[in-house]
Parts: sequence; C-alpha cells; structure tokens
Amino acid sequence: MNGFGPGRWKWVALILALGFLGIQFIRPALPNKPVTAELQVPPDVKQILKTSCYNCHSNETRLSWFDKPAPAYWIVSNHVKEGRKHLNFSEIGSLPLAQQQGVLFESISQIELGAMPLPAYERLHPESEITPQQLTVLKNYLNSAVSNRVVTAEEIGSADAEYEKWVHSPSLAKEVSPAPNGIGFLPDYKNWRAISSTERDDNHTMRVILGNDIAVNAIAHNQINPWPDGTAFAKVAWLQQLDGTGAIRTGAFFQVEFMMRDNKKYADTLGWGFARWRGADLKPYGKDATFTGECVGCHIALSKTDYVFTAPIGGQQ
Amino acid sequence: MRLQMANIFLNGFVFGIVFALFGCGGEKPKVFASLNQTASLMGDLPANPLAWSVITSSASRNDSTMSTLYGNDVASQYARTNPDHKYPNGSALSLVTWTQQEDSRWFGAKIPATVKSVEFVLVSSAAGSPSYSYQKFEGTPLKRSSAEEYRVPADRAAELLSQRGAVLP
Ligand code: HEC
Repeated sequence: MNGFGPGRWKWVALILALGFLGIQFIRPALPNKPVTAELQVPPDVKQILKTSCYNCHSNETRLSWFDKPAPAYWIVSNHVKEGRKHLNFSEIGSLPLAQQQGVLFESISQIELGAMPLPAYERLHPESEITPQQLTVLKNYLNSAVSNRVVTAEEIGSADAEYEKWVHSPSLAKEVSPAPNGIGFLPDYKNWRAISSTERDDNHTMRVILGNDIAVNAIAHNQINPWPDGTAFAKVAWLQQLDGTGAIRTGAFFQVEFMMRDNKKYADTLGWGFARWRGADLKPYGKDATFTGECVGCHIALSKTDYVFTAPIGGQQ
Repeated sequence: MRLQMANIFLNGFVFGIVFALFGCGGEKPKVFASLNQTASLMGDLPANPLAWSVITSSASRNDSTMSTLYGNDVASQYARTNPDHKYPNGSALSLVTWTQQEDSRWFGAKIPATVKSVEFVLVSSAAGSPSYSYQKFEGTPLKRSSAEEYRVPADRAAELLSQRGAVLP
C-alpha cells in the first residue's frame, strides 16, 4: 500500500488511459439498415415505443454520447444486435396486423415483469423507462384491438374432423418423435392434474396447465419455490371457438408443451427441460436444439417464481 | 488534458457498469411464487374434482367466467374414446366454473379468480336402466344450492353430459 505514492498513481492512470484509447479501435460495426416495414400503430403508441424500445429494437438506433466509447460501446452494440434479432419494429410491419399486435401483447408482459427495457440498460438510460401512464396507453390500444371474431363453419368443420379421428383412435400408439433437444414425448400428461387454466383473448386460445404427481405434491405442501426435481408441467392449448352468444368452447388442438425440472441435466435452460409438440399429429417443435432459447427468453422473466408462470390453484390434495 | 478526460470516461464506465450490474436501482414489479388460493374449492363437496382428469374446458365472454369439465377415471376414459354421450355406470363428471381475473404475469391472459359454482353429475345404472343425479354448489364456502334426479338427463345435467372431450393426443 505504502509504495503506491502519487507518482505511481499517475502511471497507473496513464496506462489505463492509454488502454482506454487503444480499445477504441476495436469497434464492431452497428449499421442502421433501412426501415423496410415499420410496425403499424397509432402515433401515440409509436412515440412511446420510439423513446423506450427503438434504440435496441429497430433500425433507427441512436446511441447516447456515453454509449459511444468502448467498452460501453461493446456492451450496447451487443444489446442492440441481440435486441434486433428478437424483435425489430422496423421490419415486423410486413406481418399480418394481428401478429404485430401479438408481438406488442408479449412486449407489454415483458415490460410489466420488469424484464424490458433491460434493467441494466434502463439504469443508464432513464428516459427509456415506461411510465404507468404510457403503459396504460399501450394497453388501451391493444384492448381495443382484440377482436370478437365468431368461429367460422370451416373452422368448426376441421375441428370436428380432427375430433372424430382422435376419439376413434386416441391411443393409436403413434411414433411421436422426440423434441430436437432429445426430450421424448410424455403421452401420460393427459392424466396429470389440472393446476390452472388460462384464456387468451389476444391469440384466441384456451389453455390448461397440468402437473405430474411430484408437482401436485409440491403444491399440497406449498413447496413451489424452487419446484423439486422431477416436477413436470404440461400446457395444452386449443383454439377457441367463440359463438354468437359469447360462449367459448375448445376447438382444434393447437399444441402441448412441457417443462421438466432437473437442475443438473437442464442447467443451461434454467433447470427446466423444455419441449413442445404442435398439432394433433404431434410434430416436434423447433428446427434444432436451440429452440429452447425461445422458451427461456420468456420464462427467464419469472426468476422470482422459479421461471414458472402459473400460480397453481390451491387445494389439490 | 485529453488523457484526463479519458480517465474520467473510464472511471465513469467502470462505475456505470458496476452500478448497472450490482446497483441498487429501483426494483421492478415483483411476482411471488404463490398458490392461487382464492380459486381453490372451499366447502363440503361430495368429491374433489381437481383430483380428476380434464375432459374439456370452456369460457363465457358475457359472464367473464371460465370452466373446466373434469371426469373420474371411468368418465374421462369414456369421453376420450366415445363420440356419443352415454356415460357408463360409475361415471362422475364435475364442471367447476370460476370468475376470471387478469393474469398479472401475462397481459392479455385471464386466469381463475374465485369459484362461482361446482356442478356434479353422477351416473349409476341398476339392471340396465341408468339414472343421473345432479348437484350444484355455490357460495363461499360452497354450499349445495340444488339437487335433481333424472331417468333421462335434462337441464344442466344434460348440458354437462353433452360436452365432448377436448382433443388430447
Ligand atoms: C411468448 C412468451 C413465451 C414463450 C416463448 C414460451 N412460453 Fe411457456 N408460458 C408462457 C406463459 C405466459 C405461460 C403461462 C400460461 C399461459 O398464459 O398460457 C407459460 C406457461 C408454460 C408452461 C406451464 C408452466 C408455467 O410456467 O406456467 C409450460 C410447460 C411452458 N410454458 C412451456 C414452454 C415451452 C416448452 C416453450 C418453448 C418451446 C415456451 N413455454 C415458450 C409464455 C411463454
């Protein structure tokens, strides 16, 4: 300690400073590509997104002066690249309107969960914070956009056909291929207990969330944070059939997806093994094993509930 | 002078990064791992339908309710393998209807809030002639509000028995 006189400090400062200047030459490019198909929303909604989200989620990135020198630049440019990959408001305008709104529905949940704007980013860019008033503007827009579309005869017809096929051969032990990350299908999920259900007006689905015995036992003893090893959840989703009287029934089967707790085996994905099968013919979801990045992308926001969204209904025992 | 500036920058960044990583900046809204207790079934019921298997689910836009139809083993197995609705002896079905609440963890989703009613239909057949008993429970705690016996199911009993199983491949 004593040997560190003021003279030494000067040297240390100089070296650090030179180092700092030196690293300025390492600058990965961060070009703003042209805005090809911008999200279509009313101006007040767009203004909020521009202020809070566009820096990382559009081709109109504007870095602050203090984001420009490295190493801050490295961090920020990485954020922007990742951010654009997940969601780019300059390019999603080419999707059907309902899908664009679906993206916004998801964004609002990310904001409400505190996952977005990234807390580390928001601390350095306080202007990106979304105020409760702004959140209300976004929600009002989306609530007004939810459609009350009544089911068509065609949709009923194809759901009926699917049902007929299934009910006459439900246990046709079909060869269900494993998910790309190696997780095999668990046909017994349908006999697990329902621990909750959700209805989604934004994407017009009904869901039931089921838990295996270990999950149900954990619920009975209120030991759900963390969930014990061996816990498994299945979430089944069907398309809604809304009729003219406001009644909603389950229509075509959409998908079933699983989360299986094994902290060691699935250490890379929050301690949960994720897998999903789509359609009544149970096609494994995902091109390759990296599909779990999608699952983690949403579920990671639930760090306070062991990455589980569902609050199970009490009194299962 | 330049170097000094740079130094200030660097310190600023190191501080900024440390602060960003470990800072005590305002915590965001919290969610806790908790059970949904308000949606649990409280009261004296002849059986716990939550322990049975799912047959299907439904909802009502106008009433802002959501329902799950459960069946004991006999009933759920039957519903998954038979397109008609002649449930065999020993079948028990239960329709639990909840009021809805916004899911605080997912904007646009609705989840069960409180139990509005629990209905049961029991099918028994003696000497080849089936009979159907219907019971409905409402209130907090749940109390029986109606009970009917049928030779031929009618009213709500018929409605419950006529719901077809949701596809569970
Ligand atoms: C867009 C965000 C999002 C993505 C991506 C996502 N989930 Fe979920 N997941 C949810 C929400 C929200 C719920 C709560 C139930 C509901 O609202 O339907 C949920 C619930 C679940 C559940 C029930 C247990 C729980 O956490 O409540 C399972 C199982 C599940 N998801 C599996 C998956 C799998 C497997 C993937 C990837 C293939 C995936 N999820 C991707 C948002 C997402």
